[in-house]
Amino acid sequence: MNRILIPALLLLASVAAAAAGADREKSRADDRGVLLPIAQAPLAAREWHNPYEGQPDALAAGKKLFLQHCAECHGTDARGKGHAVNLHLPGVQRATPGELVWFLRNGNLWRGMPSWSGLPVERRWQIVTYLKTLR
Amino acid sequence: MPRPPHFVFALLAAACALCLAPASRAQDTPYFVAYSHHLEEPGNLEVEFYTNYATQKAGNDFIAPWLEFEYGATAWWTTELYLDWQATFGQSALYTGMRWENRFRPLMREHWINPVLYVEFENTSGADKTLKEVVGFDNQSSDAVPNSIANHEHDHELETKLILSSDYKGWNISENFIGEKNLGHRPWEFGYAVGLSRPLALAASPEACNFCRENFVAGIEFYGGLGTSKHLTTSTTSHYAAPILQWQLPRGVSFSVSPGFGLNDDSHRLLLRWGVTYEFDGFGYRVRKLFQ
Repeated sequence: MNRILIPALLLLASVAAAAAGADREKSRADDRGVLLPIAQAPLAAREWHNPYEGQPDALAAGKKLFLQHCAECHGTDARGKGHAVNLHLPGVQRATPGELVWFLRNGNLWRGMPSWSGLPVERRWQIVTYLKTLR
Repeated sequence: MPRPPHFVFALLAAACALCLAPASRAQDTPYFVAYSHHLEEPGNLEVEFYTNYATQKAGNDFIAPWLEFEYGATAWWTTELYLDWQATFGQSALYTGMRWENRFRPLMREHWINPVLYVEFENTSGADKTLKEVVGFDNQSSDAVPNSIANHEHDHELETKLILSSDYKGWNISENFIGEKNLGHRPWEFGYAVGLSRPLALAASPEACNFCRENFVAGIEFYGGLGTSKHLTTSTTSHYAAPILQWQLPRGVSFSVSPGFGLNDDSHRLLLRWGVTYEFDGFGYRVRKLFQ
């Protein structure tokens, strides 16, 4: 009996935990499922076009910049470390490139994400080009 | 056998954390005197060694190195400890004091102009010649006082700055308004610093490289005194213009050099500054882990 009950309870607990996690994720996201700190970008920013979209050189440069500046918190695989968010999450990947580049410029200082406005916007677009390949 | 004091363990822990920490690359502006609104990334420690060489019109030339430990306490607060030395040719070499600096970003978003509030406590001797800022009626003759005399003067000072900084199309423009108060009964002294800088290439190249243009930042800064609260003026104080070149290596090291030229008779003819910095990733996190 226990051989069935214990795995069943564990399964139930993990489903409940996943649902709770999804709820938490949802509550921190807007109606498109984009994480709220990113979704706070102005509406105009959502429409910004990535000038490097689809360019292999920009993707390679973006990966290089990611490893130099972002991997220390988000991990070299971008799956997050500690408080730094997993960048493969739908809450990040559903954001438009414009929202991501806006967020990189502003950061979320109160929650520990620095502003990267010191990087020229060209380099922020290169990072976004790389981030968009993580989905 | 007596137990070593706690600070010895703390120092050893910090040294271990430094050894274990990998390096990263910051987004620092290259200025020696002016500050921008770009703070240290949270948890990172940047160790910086700078030197200031100055020619004296009357008196001996000198060289004044200082060591900085810059730590990102949060994304909106950077704290920094300075240790200053100087050697005046033909006289002596001596430690001239410490400074503890804090910078805060009051606004949590980027704007056209980004303010930063700066507060620093200085405990230095009159022989300090790092010239990290020029205030009041600081001029080249005040650095001509022999070390044996100047070292007997002790200055406890509070320095405040309003930093206004903007980024536009790859350029950084920073304006600093400085107010310094000796905690004795002296009036407020004022000064200014303005910086302008830009990377030589705005986009990054796809390959890892050391000598490509994206790793170099060029700029210029202007700084000088503005008199005191009893007599605001730009005369009888020193003013400088200093071009800057910084080389940022991908592995957390950067080198900077800046020849500063005096703009009036009260200034040193030449202030040659150079420095090297190294950034340690996640230093705070590693120190916390050692104590858990």
